[in-house]
Amino acid sequence: MEASRRDFISVAIGGMGAIGALGVLYPVLKTLAPSAASTTEAKVEIDVTQIPELGVRVTSWKGKPLFVLRLPKNIAEDKYNVKKDSVNNAGKLNYDLLKGQDAFALVGVCTHLGCIPLWKPEGSDAVKAPYLHCPCHGGLYTPWGDVIGGPPPRPLFVPPQKREGNKLIVGEEGFVKELV
Amino acid sequence: MLKRIVDWIDERTHVRDLYREQMIDYKVPKNLTFPYVFGVLALITFAIQIISGIILIMYYKPVIAHAFDSVNYTIMREISFGWLFRNIHAAGANFFLAIVYLHMFTGIYYNAYKKPRELVWIVGWVIYFVLLVTALTGYLLPWGQLSYWGTVVTTEIPASLADAPILKGLFGAIGETISIWMKGGYKLEDLALGRFFGLHVLFLPLTLLGLVGIHLFLVRAAGISNPDGYEIDKKKEPEKVVPFHPYMTLKEGAYAMWYLAIFFFFVFFYMSHFLPADNFEPADPLKTPPHIAPEWYLLGFYEVFRSIPSKFWGFVAFNLILVLLLLLPFLDFSPIKSARRRPLFFIAFVVFLISSMALTILGAMAPTPTNAKLGMFFTALVFLFFLSLPVISFLEWGWYKAKGGQS
Repeated sequence: MEASRRDFISVAIGGMGAIGALGVLYPVLKTLAPSAASTTEAKVEIDVTQIPELGVRVTSWKGKPLFVLRLPKNIAEDKYNVKKDSVNNAGKLNYDLLKGQDAFALVGVCTHLGCIPLWKPEGSDAVKAPYLHCPCHGGLYTPWGDVIGGPPPRPLFVPPQKREGNKLIVGEEGFVKELV
Repeated sequence: MLKRIVDWIDERTHVRDLYREQMIDYKVPKNLTFPYVFGVLALITFAIQIISGIILIMYYKPVIAHAFDSVNYTIMREISFGWLFRNIHAAGANFFLAIVYLHMFTGIYYNAYKKPRELVWIVGWVIYFVLLVTALTGYLLPWGQLSYWGTVVTTEIPASLADAPILKGLFGAIGETISIWMKGGYKLEDLALGRFFGLHVLFLPLTLLGLVGIHLFLVRAAGISNPDGYEIDKKKEPEKVVPFHPYMTLKEGAYAMWYLAIFFFFVFFYMSHFLPADNFEPADPLKTPPHIAPEWYLLGFYEVFRSIPSKFWGFVAFNLILVLLLLLPFLDFSPIKSARRRPLFFIAFVVFLISSMALTILGAMAPTPTNAKLGMFFTALVFLFFLSLPVISFLEWGWYKAKGGQS
């Protein structure tokens, strides 16, 4: 079929219009992207020497409370009565990812209904070792976030993190590769 | 597949009939000139303003403690492409008024306000007025020095009624009441910003949308005017009209592309014209910036106002020009249409055009005594234009009758 002058104009104007529409759509969608300020929240650096042994530093990562715990060398999870069937997204206990680290970070949000657990370094009558206790419905976690008791369906979330000397960098791939 | 979807919709809504009726069976004169494109360009600019405005309103905060930062930090720096939408909105306001002015001058030149199109003109005038108020209210929102002081001056203008030669007390009270009601108090604060914001983002745009809808309906109802000034009988003279689609859509589409190219050239490379440096300083109620003048689209009225020695008569004069503009269809009652066929009207139009431009230019210059005299002179010419119309119409009625009622 022979293309007429009008066909050419139609295609030219329609094409320019389509390119223009895409040019509008791109920045419109981009304005909805996370702001520069919120993306800086995706990475947190903590100097672990500032945290005392058996201490916790609470900060925030991607808007959620982040617990950075520092544990003595001699503490291990076999002291606790851990629910072995309650595993994280990697299909493991948190302890399997975090053992050997003297400092590590956990997302400090109870996996039951989103309250913020409390750090009990002295333990209690029931749990004779440091543990995390959620005040809302009594969820109990080991210092690595594995479930000991109460309603939580899974261990606390562990963010990606790596260790560089005294610095723990949360949000970058290291001994934990992704959020599990 | 697409055809089947359209078939399904068409069966229920008859959209194909509607499309044929409105786009193809709708015929327009084939001799429409370039200036007829300004209406479509105004419509495009309106769409641009609405889209960019929606983006801006998501991040703008109408509270004086946060307004400036929400514009100059959140929108300009934090949001991806926020700067682009602010530039578009600021340039768009200027382009909108520029296009509307060109559209109005086109209407005046071709006498598109005459029977049967008086309502088109009157509704168009209301659109222009609402647009000016929209521009004024929007100007305050960034809460910069120019925003603040521009609005201070604007809200002081009604107070010039106090200069009245008679009934000083009454006029003064009216002026002050208007002024205080515009601000919501004695000075510009959160109340003023809040109401300007509400008007600018909701009431005025909705009003404009409605008015533009009525304007377009009226244009369709009365038929588009003709540069030659003759009414075309679409049934008897089919050779003088063409279908709206594809003839007008393609032609106007091509002009729209050029217009957008120019528009975005300014948005990306010459924004300093539309976002002056003074306005990147937060509003300071105790310090007026050294150079302060209205935006260019108000300079004509501003020059009329300030070149007349009495504030009261200056106020009356620029409002009278607005009213005379509204009454144009009735001042110019001659049956002959289009400046092409009306030599006397053509001269009057040129005088009006040059005077408007001269007043705008003078408005941007220093108020020296010479400039004030020139301002008075061109103000007089603008009034002369409006007053000459009944005289020209009267003469033309004579010619019209002498030719046996043929135009």
